[in-house]
Amino acid sequence: MTANLATSADRLAPRDYKSNLPPIWCPGCGDFGVLSSLFKALSECNLDPSRTVIVSGIGCSSRLPGFVATYGFHGVHGRALPTATGIKCARPDLNVIVVGGDGDGYSIGGGHVPHAARRNPDITYLVMNNNTYGLTKGQVSPTSMVPLASLGAKIDPKRWKTTPFGNTEDAINPVAQAIALDCSFVARGFSYKPNQLAEILGEAIRHRGFSLVDVFSPCPTFNQDQTDEFYRRNTYDVPADHDPTDRVQAFALAFSDHGYPIGVIYKHPQKPNIVDEQEALRRRLGGHATLDELIRRFA
Amino acid sequence: MTEASETPARATDVVIRLVGESGEGTVTLGDVMVEMFTQMGLDIYTFQTFPAEIKGGTVMYQLRARSAVNLSPGDSVGILVALNDEGFSLFGSGLSADAILLYNSDEFTPPPDPSRRDIALPITSLARTQKEAIRHELSGEILKRLPAPVNTVGLGALLFLVGADLEPAEAYLSRVFGRKGEPVVRMNVAALRSGADHVAKQVGDCPLPRVHAVPHESRRMMVTGNQMLSIGAIAAGLRFYAGYPITPASEIMEFLAKELPAFGGTMIQAEDEIAAISMCLGASYAGSKCMTATSGPGLSLMVEQLNLAGQAEIPLVVADVQRGGASTGLPTKTSQGDLNLAVYGMHNESPRAVLACSSVEDTFWTTVEAFNLAEEYQCPVVLLSDQSLATRRSTVPPPDLAKLTVSERLQPTADELRSGYRRYRDTPDGVSPMAIPGARGGIYTSTGIEHDETGDPGYTAELAARMKAKRFRKMDALRDKHAARLVRLWGDPGEVDVGIIAFGSTEGVVREATEHAQAHGIRVAHLHLRLLAPFPKAPVEEFAARCRALLVPELTWSGQLANWIRVNTDLRVVPFHKDDGLPFLAREVFERILALRDDCTGSNGR
Repeated sequence: MTANLATSADRLAPRDYKSNLPPIWCPGCGDFGVLSSLFKALSECNLDPSRTVIVSGIGCSSRLPGFVATYGFHGVHGRALPTATGIKCARPDLNVIVVGGDGDGYSIGGGHVPHAARRNPDITYLVMNNNTYGLTKGQVSPTSMVPLASLGAKIDPKRWKTTPFGNTEDAINPVAQAIALDCSFVARGFSYKPNQLAEILGEAIRHRGFSLVDVFSPCPTFNQDQTDEFYRRNTYDVPADHDPTDRVQAFALAFSDHGYPIGVIYKHPQKPNIVDEQEALRRRLGGHATLDELIRRFA
Repeated sequence: MTEASETPARATDVVIRLVGESGEGTVTLGDVMVEMFTQMGLDIYTFQTFPAEIKGGTVMYQLRARSAVNLSPGDSVGILVALNDEGFSLFGSGLSADAILLYNSDEFTPPPDPSRRDIALPITSLARTQKEAIRHELSGEILKRLPAPVNTVGLGALLFLVGADLEPAEAYLSRVFGRKGEPVVRMNVAALRSGADHVAKQVGDCPLPRVHAVPHESRRMMVTGNQMLSIGAIAAGLRFYAGYPITPASEIMEFLAKELPAFGGTMIQAEDEIAAISMCLGASYAGSKCMTATSGPGLSLMVEQLNLAGQAEIPLVVADVQRGGASTGLPTKTSQGDLNLAVYGMHNESPRAVLACSSVEDTFWTTVEAFNLAEEYQCPVVLLSDQSLATRRSTVPPPDLAKLTVSERLQPTADELRSGYRRYRDTPDGVSPMAIPGARGGIYTSTGIEHDETGDPGYTAELAARMKAKRFRKMDALRDKHAARLVRLWGDPGEVDVGIIAFGSTEGVVREATEHAQAHGIRVAHLHLRLLAPFPKAPVEEFAARCRALLVPELTWSGQLANWIRVNTDLRVVPFHKDDGLPFLAREVFERILALRDDCTGSNGR
């Protein structure tokens, strides 16, 4: 369920979702593409800007809420998911979208992902994954990749400022992780394919439950290995015959050894969600309690 | 301190201490005694101290029943009920002269002591006998699950010792055990009488403490600090709670899980304390009144988000039910040692208010204040309680709801929303109208980054200074408007030799010590702080001006309140602090008053 503008005649153009604050990202940053895809998705879903909140943590990509003409919450590092869960549970009538980077979402905030997945609130989580820490200028991130051997790609493990002698840690596979957590909608996008990304985001927004969209959003300043060119070469569209409701098939795609599939990878449409459950509970128990009666029980 | 010699014949003041193995009925017996005394109209004050183990270890439950106002659990114990040897060795001291020891003679025999009257009660075997008596009437399965009525034997013995009628207890047992069938009720009633009879045979005609019923016009509440905090929060408009389990605060979350949905609210058990406070910030931003409750270790995890609440100006209440010790420390004991964390715990500086609950009755009103201040000044409020207050069962008059006022945050007018709404508009008192998502024309991004009046990021020195001043101006406004109201005065009016400044759960004990000192002819007054930050400078300095010396008793290691007073004023104070997990005795405070009076006579304590 989304809080839409009254009629499709009221539909806003993508540019109408643009705030008057210009993005602060470096020239060539993948996040520009993500932002324009988001504008398109917001317009296509006909979301009411006054009833939409974009929530973020800290990082280059977490500055995004200020660039969108909806309500925004730019909080502390790594806590966007529980903040958004609070917003959605308190106000189920609002559209809630969470944005952030791989450090914010998979490192400092990584502990919240399993709980968002099991609570399954109707929230869309858009992770702009650039495989590095950009705002703090080039440290290794939990998705700084050990490249797939089959790709033959050259990635310098000593690239990161905190791995001068090589990266001693493996990377997270965020898509496989989300499927393992039974996140009810898992997709992957690529910021240099903005139309496809807008479609994926639209589907994620319309999905009733917690949707995670991991988007390759290259950092031209601090990551000269996983560039737009690298991803153009090593991504492919999710095959047309893929059944996202088949968890085993979804895992197989997430672990694909000939590149990174782009599209909707996993769906669990009927999963219960905390917001509906809490609403049902309030409907069942609510409306009768009074303070007087509560106090009298102790007297 | 008991004042038996000064009170009329029908006055009641008994202190009973129960000690036994945790999980084996000691707390149940205490709770039933509290119920019986409450029915008699007596004023109850309890103190419980638990082991940190899941099961096992010794629990101590002290309850004092008075016909007059009851301010403390009592300094010296009149009746000690020891259910096992270990409990007796740990908590067997602190008895009054001529105290009675009722001990479980199936478990142990205490070494004789002429200053005590010992009464042996074979509590386990008496209970077993009563169970045997109905054995033939019950099926094997029911019989196996039915515990022998050990607590009921103890209850009968105790009620006899204080001269209370058994009839109300019999009615109580019928009510509680009624659904288990007539034989079980009969077993319990027989157990009650056997406990009483057994004691009657031993005491003969030696004098016993006596409790007398006190008539009351209206019913009173029997409630713990944690329950009262939860009720106060609901009264103030709490509709969203997120928390993470931690002793001794978990009871608040459990209470609200049960009650909030019926009030149309939501309770979420978060994955950790950081998530809990984050959920609350989100829900408050979205327009709900929010609270999370925790204890010191949890509060330290929440500190970063408390600062966001200050910087982004989001109303929020964080209750800290303090416990003893640093790190895991003494999780089931009491302390006031989080004062520093509450008032100073932040990187850089952001506005926040700190309040402390001082008694079970006050917990309702101070909790309401916390919500009102959070809404009125759009800031985080840390609400301090502690283990001794949280688990204390007290008889209190029900809060007079006619006196309840509930504040709501300032929201933009329709005019403001139509033309150039600014979320962080610089106003004379620093409070800016806060738009709630859904409001057309109110769109803004709430942010912890330094920002201009619209909420857009900005870092010029001029802007940084102006916006910080705007936020802190709210705390000046809060202090100017509310500080005088958020302190409480006890003791002598006018010039005194000793003035006491205290906060939190020590109020009752300090009041009792003050009254005792007054009875000894000492000129003494007591200022109790409900508001800790922003510091209530004017009321404190006004109070200090009529005191020759200032005593600051507190349950901290380093004298945190004394230091907080020194930071905010030029006053000289005499600290009195201990942090061993236990509350003060009234006697300890009285002795300090006495010593300070002797020290300061003839010299100006300031």
